[in-house]
Order: sequence, then structure tokens, then C-alpha cells
Amino acid sequence: MAASSAPAPAAAAPRKGETYTDTKRRDDVRGANIAAARAVADAVRTSLGPRGMDKMIASGDQAHEVIITNDGATILSRMSLLQPAARMLAELSRSQDAAAGDGTTTVVVLAGSLLRRAQSLLSAGAHPTAAADALHRLATRAVEVLHGMAIPIELSDRDSLVKSASTALNSKVVSQYSSLLSPLAVDAALSVVDPAHPDLLDLRDIRIVKKLGGTLDDTELVRGLIFDKKVSHAAGGPTRVENAKIAVIQFQVSPPKTDIEQSVIVSDYAQMDRILREERNYILGMVKKIKAAGCNVLLIQKSILRDAVTDLSLHYLAKAKILVVKDVERDEIEFVTKTLNCLPIANIEHFRADKLGHADLVEEVSVGEGKVVKITGIRDMGRTATILVRGSNQLVIDEADRSLHDALCVIRCLVNKRFMIAGGGAPEIEMSMQLASWAKELQGMESYCIKEFADALEVIPYTLAENAGLNPIAIVTELRNRHAKGEKNAGINVRKGQITNILEENVVQPLLVSTSAITLACECVRMILKIDDIVTVR
Amino acid sequence: MDRVLKDDAVEEKGERARMASFIGAMAIADLVKTTLGPKGMDKILQSTGRGRNVTVTNDGATILKSLHIDNPAAKVLVDISKVQDDEVGDGTTSVVVLAGELLREAEKLVNMKIHPMTIIAGYRMAVECARNALLQRTMDNKENTDKFRSDLMNIAMTTLSSKILSQDKEYFAELAVDAVLRLKGSTNLEAIQILKKPGGSLKDSFLDEGFILDKKIGIGQPKRIENAKILVANTAMDTDKVKIYGARVRVDSMAKVAEIEAAEKQKMREKVQKIIGHGINCFVNRQLIYNFPEELFADAGILAIEHADFEGIERLALVTGGDIASTFDNPESVKLGHCKVIEEIMIGEDKLIHFSGVEMGQACTIVLRGASEHVLDEAERSLHDALCVLSQTVNDTRVVFGGGWPEMVMAKEVDELARKTPGKKSHAIDAFSRALQAIPTIIADNAGLDSAELISQLRAEHHKENSTAGIDVITGSVGDMQKRGISESFKVKQAILLSATEAAEMILRVDEIITCAPRRREDRM
Repeated sequence: MAASSAPAPAAAAPRKGETYTDTKRRDDVRGANIAAARAVADAVRTSLGPRGMDKMIASGDQAHEVIITNDGATILSRMSLLQPAARMLAELSRSQDAAAGDGTTTVVVLAGSLLRRAQSLLSAGAHPTAAADALHRLATRAVEVLHGMAIPIELSDRDSLVKSASTALNSKVVSQYSSLLSPLAVDAALSVVDPAHPDLLDLRDIRIVKKLGGTLDDTELVRGLIFDKKVSHAAGGPTRVENAKIAVIQFQVSPPKTDIEQSVIVSDYAQMDRILREERNYILGMVKKIKAAGCNVLLIQKSILRDAVTDLSLHYLAKAKILVVKDVERDEIEFVTKTLNCLPIANIEHFRADKLGHADLVEEVSVGEGKVVKITGIRDMGRTATILVRGSNQLVIDEADRSLHDALCVIRCLVNKRFMIAGGGAPEIEMSMQLASWAKELQGMESYCIKEFADALEVIPYTLAENAGLNPIAIVTELRNRHAKGEKNAGINVRKGQITNILEENVVQPLLVSTSAITLACECVRMILKIDDIVTVR
Repeated sequence: MDRVLKDDAVEEKGERARMASFIGAMAIADLVKTTLGPKGMDKILQSTGRGRNVTVTNDGATILKSLHIDNPAAKVLVDISKVQDDEVGDGTTSVVVLAGELLREAEKLVNMKIHPMTIIAGYRMAVECARNALLQRTMDNKENTDKFRSDLMNIAMTTLSSKILSQDKEYFAELAVDAVLRLKGSTNLEAIQILKKPGGSLKDSFLDEGFILDKKIGIGQPKRIENAKILVANTAMDTDKVKIYGARVRVDSMAKVAEIEAAEKQKMREKVQKIIGHGINCFVNRQLIYNFPEELFADAGILAIEHADFEGIERLALVTGGDIASTFDNPESVKLGHCKVIEEIMIGEDKLIHFSGVEMGQACTIVLRGASEHVLDEAERSLHDALCVLSQTVNDTRVVFGGGWPEMVMAKEVDELARKTPGKKSHAIDAFSRALQAIPTIIADNAGLDSAELISQLRAEHHKENSTAGIDVITGSVGDMQKRGISESFKVKQAILLSATEAAEMILRVDEIITCAPRRREDRM
């Protein structure tokens, strides 16, 4: 009756009697999955932390497009992975990106380390489900530990927000500009938070416009709107309008076109003249109506069916001193109308003054090589923000865009869940310590598994130190020592190359990033552990 | 001797044919065997098609229906699992495994030179006996609402415990039971919408009364409407075109073109006016609503939703009690949908439209959140299984215990029968009992337990009258299923028993496999 008296899963216990099950293939599949997933984790490991390295990714197709990044989610999404388990890891980092926006490398490294421990547990005879269940309990407990370390924060505390944004930026290519970019991200994020829903932040309300030329120093937050296009002034229209009345139109200022097929039949030359005259009158009529409503800036939605404007209509609009921006994308219309606090106009008949938006100044500005249209001083501006990113080459701009996205996500996490936690490997080592001591209270297989997995968490400080060129073993052991003495916030100070109280160094990150990293990594590892076969299907 | 069949046709006879079908069926059963039970494993399904999509699943029906299969007997097993899925929704793995075990036992008997027909006769007697044995031991708590609810909770938890949702099974069991009880006895699972949104963790999933549509509200339109009157439509909102190819208008001046354009606009305006004339304040269209009508709707203060997907439209019409309209000339004859509040809500990063207080009170939406698409897909499959079983149980309220208990109860009765039956049939009946016991054996094996030890203990327990013993996989011992709250629906168990036996019988009867010649493609060269 040994099996019924021992509460622990009998998986570890030696089997009595003869039981024969052919498990060779299953172990093979599981081993292959774990190996593939770990290979992926190892690939991004070196990009972790402020001293992490970047990866250059050349796309395999004709364009041979090159990106340089150290954003885990970006690296993994560009790698063309085939092995199913490896793809699960790539998806894991995408989920972390969606959930928290930052920590996309951390989560993959964590999963890789957990898998390594899982493999040794399996070879020691643990049943995969026992390991998976232990992992689930570990995740729940780890989140409790993290909550215990968290520091509450107020949204009005701008300094703290800036600090956590700069922690996110510190590991990026653009880290030397973190003092510029992080306040920018914080201001942009705070300006779109609706007082009616204080815990919601929709990042779609923040637009990032990238423009080549200048340096990252010239990046600015614009209180208003920016269009990455020129003013259409082929016919010499104005490029600067003060006290603007802006209309967003969804119809076209061009000769009429019907949905039904039609053909105009010209039988003699006199008719030709008449048709040209009529066309002119038609357009003139439209322009007059536009002018009558007091409009002097026209934003025209892009149209695939017919020309949005013709040379002729541009000419009349220029005569009427109306500034024209054409080819506004349809999906931008909502953002534009929200910002300008106006309504889109779909028909000339509905062109009324009450649908217009107002701004102090609309002008075309030269930025680097190109020109952009800037709308500033918008009356009753909606809760949106635009960031104009500048940089000396496309690669830097793209990376700056990704980094800003991360920083904005960090702020969003803090808006959702107003707690911060220390960075620099401090939470991981604290979790590892507390979980290991908790494991001692447990019994049987579970205790053994949790002990192993708790050790696995040390991979984060270890890798941080390794990437910074420090001695990882010395750093991790000292870190453990300091945490054992009760210094909960001791972490790796990469700049000084030693262990300090990381809170004093202003290295902080949102609690949500850490909690979602640990829960997501555990969930993914559990899933990989439970797979025992790969079946090829249609 | 002349050939009877066409050139390419292949014929396999007697022993060889039977062998081929046994082997095929058993191979299929062995494939899904490891997914059985609360500690069953998952499989990766890797598609060979474009994109090489990856599915991770533990659902027998999903695995089986996506396999490439060449063996006719294996196809029969795939079919019964599909039928099981359609009929009761759960037990799709068990049915295949049981059929496989029955065939494995049958193979031994055939090797002992027992005629297949004798085996079939024995199996038939055994299945009748097993069903009756199970029927006598069912429990029915139809009268007692509280007890019935706890029965449902137990069933849901048992179903979910073998799936990905096992860690949060109480939470999801609660969700599923709530959703099914809202249906008030109908088995129309269409009224329960499952919406998947990546992000968050599984615990963030929730049940929402009402209906959620994954669409956006048009620009400049109200974001919240109370006491909504909804018109659901499937109509073109650009222009009503003449659908004759080559129809065109000839004009001789630009002004006329402008007139036609204006006329087209006017027609659209009239259509919109007609729609507004229904006295609605929300318009949902399956097709695109273009800028012009959108603005007209915005001016009239009507909330217009464009490009709703087909399923969404049908479900919306169902739950709000409206018709899907495509002409708007007779406002009286069109039934409008109603709901209390329409508003925009945010789940994760996405904005969705929420209809609450809908006409059909049964309707509800379960919003699933999870780390990745894989998790969400698998969670949906699991939840769907639980919902199916629950809705079946609401109709047929008989409940049995789980954890190998029903198999042991049946096996015991079948054993008795074997002892009483004279003749070769008793061998077959005996074999049936062994096949039944294979299910708890596999459950134990999958959990890494010593199955031989556990099953013998279990059998000893069941020798006592009215035992409630089953395998408790969590502690790895024989436990009291009543205390552990592990229950299953009688209907599912019965379906497993009957269809597995039928399938086994069918395969057993086969003594010849004829593979027809493939139809020649005509050479077009």
C-alpha cells in the first residue's frame, strides 16, 4: 500500500514490479522541443540589460532590409523560426509586448533558463506534469513576492515616471538620449490620459512621426498635429495660415465621377469648349462653397477611385488662399478629427462652419531634407499627442521609434497598475531567495522542482552581470548575500560595476512588467513540458 | 484465373484484412492514448500547409480530425470521435481509446480461433449488461437546485481538469456553469459567444452578460446609447448599382455627369433616410458603410457599425431579437432588435462594442484572455467541451462519478456475467471487462503512477458493495470519488460505451478490404 500512503506523486518513486511503457520517442520529442526553445533563448540572451549588445538582422528576401535592434520582441519576430517550440517562444515575447510592452527579452531568457532546469528535472525522473504543476504554484507565489517588494506611485509624481521610462530606455541603442526621450514619453502619455478613465491609456492616441535628418536631439513633442507630407502648392497656394479654420473632407475636389459607367460624347468642337467650361464652373462652385464656410485649410482624404485634387482645383483653391494637404489616409481620419475637435465632411452639401476645427497656426516647415505640415495652437484640442522623431539615419530612427514605444508602454503599465519595483536584477534574486526558502517547507517532488526553478530565476542577474563584463559569479553571490541580510533593493549597478541599493540609482520599472514576465514565462514552459508528440497534419 | 477487379484495384482478404484494420485502429488509439486523463500530455500539430501553423492541443477530436489517414479502420475511429464531439462534446479521446482496447482484446481472441461473430455476440451481451450496471448507479439531483449546481460544478471541473485550464478550473467551471444555466435548458450554444483576446492571463477571463462585437463605432457618432433600437442589415452602402454588365450612361456634357453623381448621392441619402425612418438609433451593417452615409448617420445621431463579420451579424440578430434586413421599404415588417445599453469598452488594447441588456436574456459572452494564440485556442476548445457537457447534463441530469469509477463498476458486472455465461461467448465478455479496465490503467500510466498496483487495489475496493472508489491522480492513490467531487455526465459515459462498441463491432466484421482503382485522369496532351 505504499502508493496510497505516500501523498507525493509516485513518479519519482521507483516502480514496483514490471511496468513496461515505451517512452523513448516521447522523451525525444520533449528533449528536441526544449533544446530548440533554449537555442532561441540563448540567441537573445546577450541583448539583455543596459550593457546588452544589439543584433543586426538582414531579411532574407530580395530587399535585404537591415535592422539593428536590441528589442527582444523585434528580434524574435524577424527570425524565421520553423521548429514549433521555438515559435512558441517567439510568441511568448510577443505576448509580453502586448501585455506590458517592455521586458520582452527578459521573459524569453527566463523561459530558457526554466526549461534548462526542467530538463535536468526530467532526467532525474520527475514526471512532466509534476514539474508543470510545481511551476504553476511557483508563479503564483512569485507574484506575491513581487507585490511585497512593490512601491506605490502616484501619476502626479512625474519624476518617478521619468525614472522608470529611462530604465526602459537605458538598455536601448538610444540610451544616451534617455534624459531627453523619457520626459518626452511621460509628457506625451500623461497628456492623453482621460480624467474620466484615469486608469486607461490608449497608445493609439500617441502618434510617432519619423523624419530623417538632424539628430535624435531634435526629437520633440508637438502639441498639435504633424503631417509627414508637403502642402500641395503646385499652383502657388499659401504655405502658412494663421488663425486657421480647418476642414477634414472625405470628398474630392475634382471633376465629377459617377459610380455607374458613363461616357461623354462629343460630336463637334464647340461642345469641347463647353465641357471644359462646365468643368471649370463645377470646380469653382465647390471652391466657392468651401470658401463661403470660412475655411482656409483643407485636409483631403486619400481616394483610390479618383484624383483628390486636380491642377485646376488646386489653382482655384490657391486663388481662394486655402492651404491644401492631400492624401490623408482613411485610418488617420479618426485621429485627426479627434485632435482637431472637428467632424469629417463627406459631401460638399454638408460643408458648414460648425464642422470646422480651429488652430492658431498651420504651416509648412522644413525638417531636414523634407517638409512637414505642422498644426499648432489647436482650440479645444482632443487628448492626443504627436512625437516627431529625428535621426541621422533610418536605422537609428526606427530603433528610436521602438524604444519610445517601450517607454510609452512602461508608462501605460504604471497607469494601469500604480506600483513600481526596483530593477537591476533585484526582484529576481529576491524571488529566487524567498521561493527557495519556501521550497524547504514543502514536501516531495514539488519541493524538489520548486527549488530547481527558484535557482533558475538567478539567470537574470547573472546575465546582466555577464553582459556588462562583470564577473557573474562574484556578483550573483554578493547579491545573494546582500539580500540574505535583508537589503531587498540591492541590485546590480551596471554603471559602477558593483552592488548598490538600486532604488537610489533611480533604476525602477513597473510592477506589471515583472509580474507578467514571470507568469507568462511559466505558462509557456508548462505548455512546452506537457507536449509529448509532434504530429504532422494537413 | 482472370481478374475480377480492375487493374489497379487491390484486394486484401481474410486474415490479412483483419490484421490491417486491427493495426490501423490500434495505432490511432495509441496516438491519442497519452492525452487521456488529468495528467495527460499535449500534442503539437504541425501543419504541412502554408505558414506551417502550429496548434498545441489535448483534445482528441481536434487531433484526430487533422490527421492524414490512409487506413480505413482508422478512419472509422476518427469518425466516431467526430460524432462524439458533435453529440456530447466530450469524451472524444475516451471513445477512441476504448474502441482500440476492445479491438486489441478481440485480436487475441481471433488468434485463439474464436469466430469474430462469437466475439461480437459476447460484446453485445457485455455492453447491455454494462449499461444497465451503470444506469443503476447513476445519481440524479434534478429536484434540488443547489445540489444540481454543485453537480454541474463537479462535472465542469472534471472535464476541465484534463485540459489547459486545469489550474484555474474552479474559476472556469464557475464561468461555464453560469453561462449554461443562463441558457435555461436550451442546448443552443450559439447564444454563448466566446471571444479571444491575447494579453493578460487566463485568470483575467470573464463572463459578460450581453454581447460583444469586435468592431469600431463610426467617426463622430455617439459612443454610448441607452435603450437602443437596432437594425441589423446586410446591404450595400455605396450605391445600388445596375448589375448588368456593360450598362453605361451616355451624356454630352460635364454638367450631366455632375447631375448623375448628384442623383447617385441623392439615392444614397434616400436610402439612409429610409433606414433612419425605422426609428432606430443603432445601425449594424455587414458590408462597408462609406464615408458619405456614415456622415449622414452621424448627423442623425445614429450609431453605425460597418463591416461586422457574418457570424457576428447572425448572432447579434439572434440575441437582440431582430431580423437581418436588406430592403428598407416597409419599416413595419422589419423586426428591430433591442437592448438596454450600447457602449464602447476596452479589453486589453482593443476597443470593442458592448451590447448589454439584450432581448434574449440567455445570451452571454465569455471573454478569454491568455498569453498567446495557442493558449487561447486551446482554452476555447476546452471551454467548449465543458459547455457542451454541461448543456447536455442540464437536459439529462443523471450523473456518475469519474476517475475510472464507471469503468470499474461496469467491469465488475460484466465479470459476473462472464461467469454465468456458458460457451465461447464468455471469453469475449471477459475480454470486454479487460478492455474497460484499460481506461483507468491508462489514466494511471499517464500520470506516471504504478498502474498495475493501483488497478488491483481499485478492483479490490469495488468488490465491496456500493463503493465510490476511483483513481485520485493528484495524490496518486485510490480515493473516494464522492469526497473529491469528481463527476461525469451519464450521457457522455453512455455515448462512449455504445459508440466504441459499435465501432469495434464494425471493424471486427470486416474480412475483406477492397481498395478501388483511382479514377484515371484523362490525358489532355
